[in-house]
Amino acid sequence: MKKKIALALLLAVTLASTFVEASFRKESVKVFSLDNGLKVLLVEDHAIPNVALYTFFRVGSRNERPGLTGVSHFIEHMMFNGSPKFGPGEFDRRMEFAGGANNAFTGNDLTGYTDWFPAAALEAMMAMEADRMQDASFDPQVLESERGVIASERRMGVENDNEGILSENVVATAIMAHPYHWDVVGWMSDILGWKRDEILAYYKTYYAPDNAVLIIVGDFAPDKAMALVRRYYGPIPKGTPPPAVITVEPPQMGPKRVVIRKEAQAPSFQMVWHSPAASDPDFPPLAIMENALLGGKSSRLYKRLVREEQLAISVQGGTAETIDPMLFTINVQPRPDADLAKIEAVIEEELGKVKKDGLTEAEFRKSLNMIRSDYFFGLQSINGKAGALGQAEILYGSWEKAFTRMDDFTSVKRERIAEAARKVFQENNKTVGTLIPTGGEK
Amino acid sequence: MKTRTIAVLILIALAAALPARAAFKLPAPEKLVLKNGITVYYLRTTETPIVSFRLMLRGAGSAQEPAALEGIASLTAELLQKGTATKNADAVAEAVDAMGARFGIGSSEEMVAFSADSLSEHFASLLAIAADCLINPAFAEEEFQKAVKTRRDSLKAVKDSPGAAVRSYFAKAYYGSHPLGHLSNGSEESLAKMTLADVKAYYKTYYGPAKAAAAVVGDIDKAALLKLLNGSFGRWKGAAKVPAVALPPLPKPQGIKLLLVDKPDATQAYWVLGAPGYALGAPVTPAAAVMNTLFGGRFTSWLSTELRIKRGLTYGASSSFATFSSGGTFTASSYTKNDKIGEMLQIVFDLLKKARGDGFAAEEVESSRNYIQGQFPPTLETNASKAGVYARLAFFNLGFDYYDRYLAGVQKADPAAVKAAAAKLLPSDGYVLVVVGKAAEIKTQLDKFGTWSVKKITEPGF
Repeated sequence: MKKKIALALLLAVTLASTFVEASFRKESVKVFSLDNGLKVLLVEDHAIPNVALYTFFRVGSRNERPGLTGVSHFIEHMMFNGSPKFGPGEFDRRMEFAGGANNAFTGNDLTGYTDWFPAAALEAMMAMEADRMQDASFDPQVLESERGVIASERRMGVENDNEGILSENVVATAIMAHPYHWDVVGWMSDILGWKRDEILAYYKTYYAPDNAVLIIVGDFAPDKAMALVRRYYGPIPKGTPPPAVITVEPPQMGPKRVVIRKEAQAPSFQMVWHSPAASDPDFPPLAIMENALLGGKSSRLYKRLVREEQLAISVQGGTAETIDPMLFTINVQPRPDADLAKIEAVIEEELGKVKKDGLTEAEFRKSLNMIRSDYFFGLQSINGKAGALGQAEILYGSWEKAFTRMDDFTSVKRERIAEAARKVFQENNKTVGTLIPTGGEK
Repeated sequence: MKTRTIAVLILIALAAALPARAAFKLPAPEKLVLKNGITVYYLRTTETPIVSFRLMLRGAGSAQEPAALEGIASLTAELLQKGTATKNADAVAEAVDAMGARFGIGSSEEMVAFSADSLSEHFASLLAIAADCLINPAFAEEEFQKAVKTRRDSLKAVKDSPGAAVRSYFAKAYYGSHPLGHLSNGSEESLAKMTLADVKAYYKTYYGPAKAAAAVVGDIDKAALLKLLNGSFGRWKGAAKVPAVALPPLPKPQGIKLLLVDKPDATQAYWVLGAPGYALGAPVTPAAAVMNTLFGGRFTSWLSTELRIKRGLTYGASSSFATFSSGGTFTASSYTKNDKIGEMLQIVFDLLKKARGDGFAAEEVESSRNYIQGQFPPTLETNASKAGVYARLAFFNLGFDYYDRYLAGVQKADPAAVKAAAAKLLPSDGYVLVVVGKAAEIKTQLDKFGTWSVKKITEPGF
């Protein structure tokens, strides 16, 4: 679905970052910086006569504040709604006429605009992307209509989705101070209340060439592409550096519980623990552990909850690859008649084993193989390559991380897994959420 | 809103500036024949160290299963992955995950499909596991019971997701007793009756190599591959003759059928509207694609423009055609908050009428053609997508030049052909419309569209 909040996508691409065996390697990337601070990464790839043009901005829900929650995501929507040069809807109309398609996503830390189009449309697309980087209109009438779209998106993803509403409550309970407290879509009252001038000020602050990276992968000649980049992006003025995010989440002092009662056919269940940032040395061991615990039908929790005890229909989750510390999540879809206390007990028992003994050698190798093959699956497309570079640049401040991230995983010693698990999976660090069905045929 | 005229002029200018498009073709694969007769189409690619395998089997899809055993096609496909003569289910999962590989067996309406993708270094092991699952399934009673229980629970749990539930209600309302109405999870009744013996008999009767289609794309040498294939899938005997189960002609709704499913906690109403479409490979395919792209197939489509972009009624609105060997179905769908559902549906009916009566402007048709052509190459970009396309084209006997012909047809689709496709395929008075929402808040808005059957979401089944 279009313009989706792609948290899942971020998580999926995350672990995947590296190993150099494919024809896509560090040397394939040409790097340029414009005087206004825009970083440009070019990768020539003629496998198909298309181009992926990705623009990633260093802005997400992390940069918001109460009253303006969800505004990063709203701006992502408004970027398609016109500028003085290209009226509302023209971006998409021109792009589709030229054979192109696009999507965009907003996460906790970054906002991405992803365009895919035939090679011949490169200049037309760049003209429009450069234009909206500085000149989106925020026409008052269009703005009101788009508010309705966001409200519908929130109703779909949160209010009419039991796991969505439970997750929003659990995260907001676990994280009390840091802006990760609220969902990327924002609170409904904020969605209905954002003021145009506040939105515009936010846009001006974060949509600047020195707060973005441009990645172009595909069928083009680099010198010609760079000439176009200079022509269209060169004149955009440098921005004012955005304020730093200074709030640090205080340590949790004891277990927290959230209970939601609503009409439902089946309960929902989620557990979270405060967990380190992507750049923390404890992140790779936890990500490796995540595969052994939750990745695939051979994982420990799938086997226990879905197959052996048959308490759940599915179980998933893991680390969040974010700039600031966030949460390790375990999300269970319980069977309609399942005992939720038992689900919690099984999870605690399995985490206890990891804390005590870590992973077996076979599990350890399996997890690394999963990380490695996910990486190569992602690199089969120009989109996958562009995404991996952009993600590394925003989350780690360095696109090269896309080629060296795998070293962070392969250099992990197996005994580090239990050590990292012991720090995260503590009673005082956890939040448990349950959604209990009421009404219906019960 | 800005005027459309200005946009159109700009579009024309842009089109004039576009140089001639380089034709992008599906590379021709090599044909390999295994010792049991299975044909495998092969293409060597070396960009990434990944190999993709696809195998499609005839006759064992959900629309080919006996009505009393609804869901057995999907259940059988799942159980094939749950243990072999020498490996139990956990061992199979462990072996696949240990390689970081992707492996699945799934049924759709008219086929059962195997997919297996891995790093090149693991491909031989993965292929051996996949073949073992097909040739030596354990069909353990315990796994059967677990799978049935999960399906029963899923049938219930899906009702908490109105966007997914409305699809199941629609399938039943539209297809009735036609086999395309079979849900992959089956039904309460069929699951209660089904036994492991049924699954074994189904496998024995419907799984055979005759007319199967397969493909391998990736970084693997031909001689090595042929040896691997002959040592695995090439050893499969299976049913000597799979019964020819032809898909009956699809139902044609006579008049208007309206179903409201009451979900009292819903703050948003979800709907699907369906009507007859066209069969796989029908001559109308390119014109229908150009038409549907404009009506509900992309972001600037009429549905998306009128419901999302102009009015902010919804996050998404779209339409599509599903095609099968004996016919097809058109569906449109969206959702909006409770007090807007009447307004939204009226707009949809107005748009259907306008498309049928007036067709689409020449500029729109040109844009749609460009869009389909421009978005085509990425659909063949990965090893997995190429292997899937080879197997599918071979399976349905469409020919490897199918997409060349299709794209040439798209290029030829003019406004008259597109209007004719709209008049033929967009419904006026023969359709089924299903809404899942809070009846207390939406029923009065719906009454003007006709007489609704109403059921509660808590009633068993769909």
